[in-house]
Amino acid sequence: MNEMSKNENLDIQIYNFAYLDENTKRMIRRALLKALCIPGYQVPFSSREMPMPYGWGTGGIQVTSACLIPKDILKVIDQGADDTTNAVSIRKFFQKTANVAVTEKTSDASLIQTRHRIPETKLKEKQILVYQVPIPEPLRFLEPRETETRKMHALSEYGLMYVKLYEDIAKHGHIETAYAYPVKTNGNYVTDPSPIPKFDNPKMNNSPAIQLFGAGREQRIYAIPPYTNVKSLDFEDYPFEAMKANFKCSICGSSDSYLDEIIVSDDGKRSYICSDTDYCKEQTKLNSKKED
Amino acid sequence: MFRHRLLQRTNQIKFKKRRLIMKQNFLFQASNISKYYGQNIGCKNVSLDINPGEVLGIVGESGSGKSTLLNCIYGNLEVDEGDIFLNDKSKTILNFTKISEPKLRLIQRSDLAFVHQNPRDGLRMNISAGGNIGERLMAIGHRNYGEIREIAANWLEKVEIDVSRIDDKPSTFSGGMQQRLQIARNLVTRPRLIFMDEPTGGLDVSVQAKILDLLRNLVRELGIAAVIVTHDLAVVRLLADRIIVMQNGNVIEAGLCDQVLDDPQHKYSQLLVSSVLQV
Repeated sequence: MNEMSKNENLDIQIYNFAYLDENTKRMIRRALLKALCIPGYQVPFSSREMPMPYGWGTGGIQVTSACLIPKDILKVIDQGADDTTNAVSIRKFFQKTANVAVTEKTSDASLIQTRHRIPETKLKEKQILVYQVPIPEPLRFLEPRETETRKMHALSEYGLMYVKLYEDIAKHGHIETAYAYPVKTNGNYVTDPSPIPKFDNPKMNNSPAIQLFGAGREQRIYAIPPYTNVKSLDFEDYPFEAMKANFKCSICGSSDSYLDEIIVSDDGKRSYICSDTDYCKEQTKLNSKKED
Repeated sequence: MFRHRLLQRTNQIKFKKRRLIMKQNFLFQASNISKYYGQNIGCKNVSLDINPGEVLGIVGESGSGKSTLLNCIYGNLEVDEGDIFLNDKSKTILNFTKISEPKLRLIQRSDLAFVHQNPRDGLRMNISAGGNIGERLMAIGHRNYGEIREIAANWLEKVEIDVSRIDDKPSTFSGGMQQRLQIARNLVTRPRLIFMDEPTGGLDVSVQAKILDLLRNLVRELGIAAVIVTHDLAVVRLLADRIIVMQNGNVIEAGLCDQVLDDPQHKYSQLLVSSVLQV
């Protein structure tokens, strides 16, 4: 009885800081260091069972948990938005288990966990971007044998990756792959940038922030250190193109941010809004200032 | 019996002599290769050499070690004894049993090629014909879509597949077309030596004839050396310059194709030649 009331008082004390125990965090940090040393290389790590299903960001959360320090300011986004289920629950999770400050402002955050987007606001040095990755292996659907894909990475046999792009052009007249568009990191390993839209690919190149990728179910961690060359694969005569819907955001009017298409009425009327909610808010603020 | 042994011996001596002469500009050489599957013999003490542009036939019954030998000399199977040498494009002699795996794989997809009996083993069935031909090009660094496509179309023409089918998947092709596509896919990077494991097996006779005709023309035209494993003597008669006959993992006779087929010395070769059906 006494014990229980103690726990209620010290709500957060029942968890170790940021949920995972220190040994686990240490193991993940070692994997992270190795990953940073070999940009784009998939480092195996012993992924832990997390209090949520696979596919909800168990890999990202473990990486965040290993990186988090008490004075961090955390931002969590899901498809660019701060207010969607995945983002809200992960943010709450770390508020509860690590008691860290949280923010929605990209420029204020020291650590950003993301699902499927890179924020529109340019990242800075000393910021960490943690990606949630469903399938870390870019060659997975081209070559099902893991033993073989590892060999292909080791020997940089990436002809097959180009076969996929070739098929795209042969079928559709252009490279149809719109998300999880394969990149070559530091001129060496072909890397899956997690399912971000290919619009975001150029933001990975030479980014001042540290980019960490965690795949929980697949038990892989990989990383892109700051200021690393990241090149999207393409053909000489079909160069890579960062694509987005050719509309303006109907809230802030921005035409250079990545847009979500939403159906607003039963008869199929469509509207486009920024997928990055923080960026959209900033733009709206700027606009109203201009009007004043 | 004595006469037979004597003949066999002289034949071996002849073979050895010829090898000494050819050694200067050989393309490929295997010396004393053995491969065991536990207690069983895959192939034993096999030596062969291939000159640039030459076609070598390997014949023998099922289970005689033909395919094992082929996989050994291609580098797919590790040999237990012996050495395999390739005189590569830059005239350096490489030993397959000693070089690193990356190097071997690079050679396998540039200097060498392998045509499987079943085109399903050698093709990517869910990728278009053009992509299948282009894969080897992209693997050695081609990065121009237009060029790759043009080369692929040229090769389809060469192997007599309608160019309009360039974007169709091989699964929509007939068996003969699939085999021709596999040949095109392998020849596109201009290898210098191509290994074929029963390239016409499982095809009906008229399609077989067409593929053999095609192979003969391509091999002669491009000056590619080839090793053809088959149990069909007609195939070697048509394509091969020299043949070796195998039984139970051993080479029992080797020589010029016409010489061996017209005047077989070993008992088993005689049996093999005499058991060909005459129409």
